[in-house]
Amino acid sequence: MLAAVVSVAQADVVVVVAPDSPLISLTRSQLSDIYLGRINRLPDGTPVVPVDQADISAAHSEFYEKYLGRTPAQIKAHWSKLIFTGRGQPPRTVADGDKLATYVAMNPNTIGYVDPAVVDRQLKVLSIE
Amino acid sequence: MTISTKDPGNWRARLTDPPFLFSLIAVAVLALIWITTVNLANRETAATTLAGKNLAGDVADTYEAQVVRALREIDHTLKLVGYSLSTDTPGRVLADLRDKELLPPELLFTVNVLDANGIMRATTHPANAAGHPDAAFLDLVADSRGMAVGLPRYADVSGEWRLHFGRPHRDGNGDVAGIVTLSVHAGYFVSGYEFGVLGEESVLGIVGVDGVFRVRRTGNVVSAGDRIDYATLASTGGVADEGAVLERNAWDDVARFTVSRKLFEFPLAIVVGVSEAEHLAPAQRRVATYFERAALASAILLGVVAVLAWVSWQLQRTRERAMDERIEHAKRVEYLAYHDNLTDLPNRSLFSRNLSAKMHDARLEESGLALMFLDVDRFKNINDSLGHDAGDALLREVGRRIRGALGADDIVARLGGDEFVVLLPGVRVPEEIVPVLERLLSILGRPVALSKQEFRVTVSIGVTLFPADGEDEQTLFKNADAAMRHAKEQGKNNFQFYSSGLSSDSLERLSLESSLRNALERDELCLYFQAKQDVASGGIVGVEALLRWRHPDLGLVYPMRFISLAEESGLIVPIGRWVLRKACEQNVTWINEGFAPICMAVNLSARQFLDRGLLEDVKGALDASGMDASLLELEITESMVMQDVAQAVTVLEELKSMGVKIAIDDFGTGYSSLSTLKQFPLDTFKIDRSFVRDVTTSADDQSLIEAIIAVGKSLHLTVVAEGVETAEQARLLRDRGCDQIQGYFVNRPMAGESFTGLLGAHPATGTSGQRA
Repeated sequence: MLAAVVSVAQADVVVVVAPDSPLISLTRSQLSDIYLGRINRLPDGTPVVPVDQADISAAHSEFYEKYLGRTPAQIKAHWSKLIFTGRGQPPRTVADGDKLATYVAMNPNTIGYVDPAVVDRQLKVLSIE
Repeated sequence: MTISTKDPGNWRARLTDPPFLFSLIAVAVLALIWITTVNLANRETAATTLAGKNLAGDVADTYEAQVVRALREIDHTLKLVGYSLSTDTPGRVLADLRDKELLPPELLFTVNVLDANGIMRATTHPANAAGHPDAAFLDLVADSRGMAVGLPRYADVSGEWRLHFGRPHRDGNGDVAGIVTLSVHAGYFVSGYEFGVLGEESVLGIVGVDGVFRVRRTGNVVSAGDRIDYATLASTGGVADEGAVLERNAWDDVARFTVSRKLFEFPLAIVVGVSEAEHLAPAQRRVATYFERAALASAILLGVVAVLAWVSWQLQRTRERAMDERIEHAKRVEYLAYHDNLTDLPNRSLFSRNLSAKMHDARLEESGLALMFLDVDRFKNINDSLGHDAGDALLREVGRRIRGALGADDIVARLGGDEFVVLLPGVRVPEEIVPVLERLLSILGRPVALSKQEFRVTVSIGVTLFPADGEDEQTLFKNADAAMRHAKEQGKNNFQFYSSGLSSDSLERLSLESSLRNALERDELCLYFQAKQDVASGGIVGVEALLRWRHPDLGLVYPMRFISLAEESGLIVPIGRWVLRKACEQNVTWINEGFAPICMAVNLSARQFLDRGLLEDVKGALDASGMDASLLELEITESMVMQDVAQAVTVLEELKSMGVKIAIDDFGTGYSSLSTLKQFPLDTFKIDRSFVRDVTTSADDQSLIEAIIAVGKSLHLTVVAEGVETAEQARLLRDRGCDQIQGYFVNRPMAGESFTGLLGAHPATGTSGQRA
């Protein structure tokens, strides 16, 4: 029991898209590029728009540390620089996992991350290689 | 090597002197290397400094634009929210604007809405809004006409400095109805810090006109809140639109190319500083490389020059050494050319040169010089009996002794063989050098150790004077040689001065010597006769047999020219024997022809006198001719008897016992003492012709002759005067008591047949002074 709670609290965040999205999987570097604002289309030309959770959420730090290998502070510094120098805008932020799930489900081409607990039939979990 | 700097020729020579040239080139190249290096370094530093200033300026331009844009965006958000508040409640305003993506990203920016009392009504980020705002900031915003910029605050929640901006929201009456604030973490304003451009030590920052840094970043370190003197920054940091200034930043004492610019719309200034140390580091590394290369090049150059100089020096030394050796060799060769290698004395060549020089000096000074020939007596015997090594040793010793006996100005040379020659400068008359000559004879007469035995050697010395006897080298040499020969003839171990009578030619001697050997067999010798006249009666009481040589080429040769030759060759003995025999035969012939018996005088030479066969020869001549021994008179000289008095007495006593008479010839020229003469059994004194010659004019000679006659009388001897030529001389001699006279006044020497006639004219009388 305790182990299960710990494992959930620690993080399992999954990357999700709308169910009708043609995407099935992404590489880790593709995911990084999308969330760091480096690309806004996949190699096949599919537009992709990342959605973020508020930085105070547990999923936020879990996601960046697990998939991008970066701390929230590093992510903040990254976007500070891009914004300050006028070279980009960070992903839209939503308050929590539920709102993200709703938003992604309603907006094609978006991509987000949530606690697996939030995942329902409205979302498709991408496998990250 | 010392070179006068005043001589341009030497200067030029010195320029091509390798060590100097190398040094000059080395100094020039070194100077070139270092001047170039320092120049390059200066240019590099200057260029880099300029680049640093330009970089600071460029960064400042960009940074200023970014800050202003960021501030304007913030201000715009504040205005937008404020405007929206007039239509809706704060919470809905924020939510609405956010949905429409009209608010800045929540990740960085937190927007808050407060009411007029400072109570938080809405926020985009509850965590960041906690504890916000403070009263001072609210007052600041309330009083502000534009956007208020608060002091940085450290947020414990996020662990970062945050900057707060705010605008009042006014109602229709212009009263403050609420306040909109926005906070962002301070690092946002310095997130443009590019390590690639600025490095670790540069600075980006925003400072308020109140002197408080809103944010400042150096490397990865972001700080805020510290206070500086804004006025100083403005004056030194070029807040104006000027270029960067290199200064030590007040806050961390790091030297930077610093630009600070006041922003036009906000109470803020940006500060950009490019670290001098970092910026110059690559240039300084390049400069250091330049200097290292220059040092390396210098070291190599100095090494090469040192090696070249060393090689050159060695070469020069080798050359100098070779030159020294050549000079030394040349000197040695010259020395050998001018010196006798046996005695180390000058040789004839050098002596000739010296002689010429000294003759020249003597002419200038109207002085003179003496030239002497020294010949070692009987050297050939020594050489033959003891060997050449002993002969050489003897010559060396003789050379040393001659040299030692003379002064520094005197010159000694060896002519070769056993002949030495000496030059005495500053001599005018013979008397001056008699002491020198006597000293030479004395020193040379000392025993010499040869082959572990002691020998006594003597020398014969001939002396001639310049310019009296000759004015050229050849003549002087010839004269000295003649004088030396004369000294030999005079019994050796003595010295003789040259006189014109000695001009016997050496060449003649040579030919004479060879032909003299045959003279006896060819019957070339003959006798002449000169009468001795009794001064009282005028009758011929005696005759002297004089040897003559009828030389087939030279004609009649006088004995003075060949007797010494005959003595040296030993021919004197048979010749003397022949003379004795011939004289006796002639006398007997005259007696047989009816003339009264007269005394026949025959001269003996020194060698003859010492010959063991003398008595036999005399006896043989008397027996062969049948002449009475009392009619034979043998004439000897003083020097012959003085050499060995005891021996002479013995010989004379034996002759005397045979009945033969003894006469001393040339009396007065020797140094015999009366007491010595008394030991000899003498019969006759013959006064030397030199006394007779001037007897009529010289009182000295007169008294001398008187003395000699007195001595003769006191010894009961017959006194004969030689060389009488005039009646006056004859009369004077007669008056002084001389017994007999001989000379041209009576007759010239003549052959036997002629003399027979003379005998007839002057018959001897019974009153002849001839003693029995």
